Amino acid sequence: MPLAWFLQNLVNGLSIGSVYAVFALGYTLVFSVLGILNFAHAAVFTLGAYLTYVLAVGEFGLNGLLAGATMPFKLPFALALLAGAVLSGLAGMAVEYLAFRPLRKRGADALLALVSSLGVALILVNLIQYLFGAEIYSFPPDVLGSLPPAILFHVGEGMVAMRTIQAVLFGVSLLLLIGLVWFIQFTKQGKALRAVAENPDTASLLGISVDTFTLGTFFLSGLLGGMSGTLIGVSFGLSGPYFGVAYGLKALAVIVLGGLGSIPGTVLGGLVIGLAEAFLPPELSSYKEAVAYALLFAVLLARPQGLLGKSAEEKV
Amino acid sequence: MLELNAVTLAYGPVMAVREASLHVRQGEIVTLIGANGAGKTTILRAVSRLLDPKSGAIMFEGRDLRGVAPDRVVRLGLAHCPEGRQVLARQSVRDNLELGAYIRADRAGIRQDLEMAFDLFPRLRERASQLAGTLSGGEQQMLAIARALMCRPKLLLLDEPSLGLAPIIAQEIFNIITNLNQQGVTILLVEQNAHMAMRTAHRAYVLEAGQIVAEGDARKLADDERVRQAYLG
Repeated sequence: MPLAWFLQNLVNGLSIGSVYAVFALGYTLVFSVLGILNFAHAAVFTLGAYLTYVLAVGEFGLNGLLAGATMPFKLPFALALLAGAVLSGLAGMAVEYLAFRPLRKRGADALLALVSSLGVALILVNLIQYLFGAEIYSFPPDVLGSLPPAILFHVGEGMVAMRTIQAVLFGVSLLLLIGLVWFIQFTKQGKALRAVAENPDTASLLGISVDTFTLGTFFLSGLLGGMSGTLIGVSFGLSGPYFGVAYGLKALAVIVLGGLGSIPGTVLGGLVIGLAEAFLPPELSSYKEAVAYALLFAVLLARPQGLLGKSAEEKV
Repeated sequence: MLELNAVTLAYGPVMAVREASLHVRQGEIVTLIGANGAGKTTILRAVSRLLDPKSGAIMFEGRDLRGVAPDRVVRLGLAHCPEGRQVLARQSVRDNLELGAYIRADRAGIRQDLEMAFDLFPRLRERASQLAGTLSGGEQQMLAIARALMCRPKLLLLDEPSLGLAPIIAQEIFNIITNLNQQGVTILLVEQNAHMAMRTAHRAYVLEAGQIVAEGDARKLADDERVRQAYLG
């Protein structure tokens, strides 16, 4: 029984934790290139979930400007997920273009860019509310097609249930993480991106366009945001235009826990928080939302730079 | 090949260089000497367009560089090896060199030039897979120069290549500069080590508090009483 209990929590924790990691990587990417947190990221996450919903389900809700409207077509879920993510990537690029670049070109303080991204987040969230209304949207149960809702494994005396959506969450996240690491570590453009992150002046002396790569980073970040928004939306529903806010805060806890700017740290942070939430005893489940921050607090006491972060002196 | 015409440069309200004019002809080594803070690095930064001139024109092979993006300049054949060994510390020596060839797509040619760079600096070959940040100061300087050569530049801007190096390694670097020049690379060399720079260069400019105060044949200038007193001790 304890083994089944353990495996069940492991499945639950890894699937949600991997999505936390993907979402938080969007913050990490922008942070490593610009040294700023992009507060519009959570809004792009929300946007991605709504876009995929519209593309896959084809119907709008009962209030909002688009109330009662239907789309002329419906895409299969996998395609809608991809299209929603790409559109979110484009939204990410718009955020860089409108909120970050103009300030950077004027040499503005990083704090102003932060405020500017908060402004974009508010605009996006209100736009979503205006168009879609404030109601709850849930993906229909058959959104994944004819797949069974869960697979049961017998472990000794007990049973472990892996919901299909959990497998999708973990599988898609794993693919994204592997793809991202491969791109950054092993491709020419990925190495150029790391050069931009380490020293923009040196990068441009080598012929690498800092502006283009910054824009590309925002695309990737938006893509990851939209993808994770959809994944979370499919498993828990879209609780309204502010549905990204709680997850955005949690993702901030993830990146600080893992170490600001560290990609392996972000992945580790996401998994740790996902697992911690899963292993929380049921009688404490009302404290679930507090787990991430309690963990963050405890880790920062021991390691102020986060789990895999470099201390300030090493960063120079 | 390179021509600066009455170029004035400033960081915000702080004037750094006032109406500097200089030129570099094909095949030359030209050195720009002067005390710390005279504006030497600022001039190189303006040539690679990291800094916009307040006034004046910078021409490379007859083309006005005004409005050219910094990452475009290197595509015109102008490589800048910045001061302070700006290697990418978190990437390997080999990756640093390959990024030096970022603008090129000829894989075979890049591989060949990588071998040449390793022949020129055998120590880099030994440390090819090491992170650049773990190299010694001299090795990082070699890497920075080798990286700048990977784009096959027509003109190489070298900023303080001997800074912080042991004299024997500095000498080695200057020998390599002479060699490169004999292979056809034109060089604009900024140095505080005026002795070595004047011995290596064909022509020299002396920069003092943001203004060019003397210019001419490097050997003749080295004999000039004023220059000797100020820079050659």
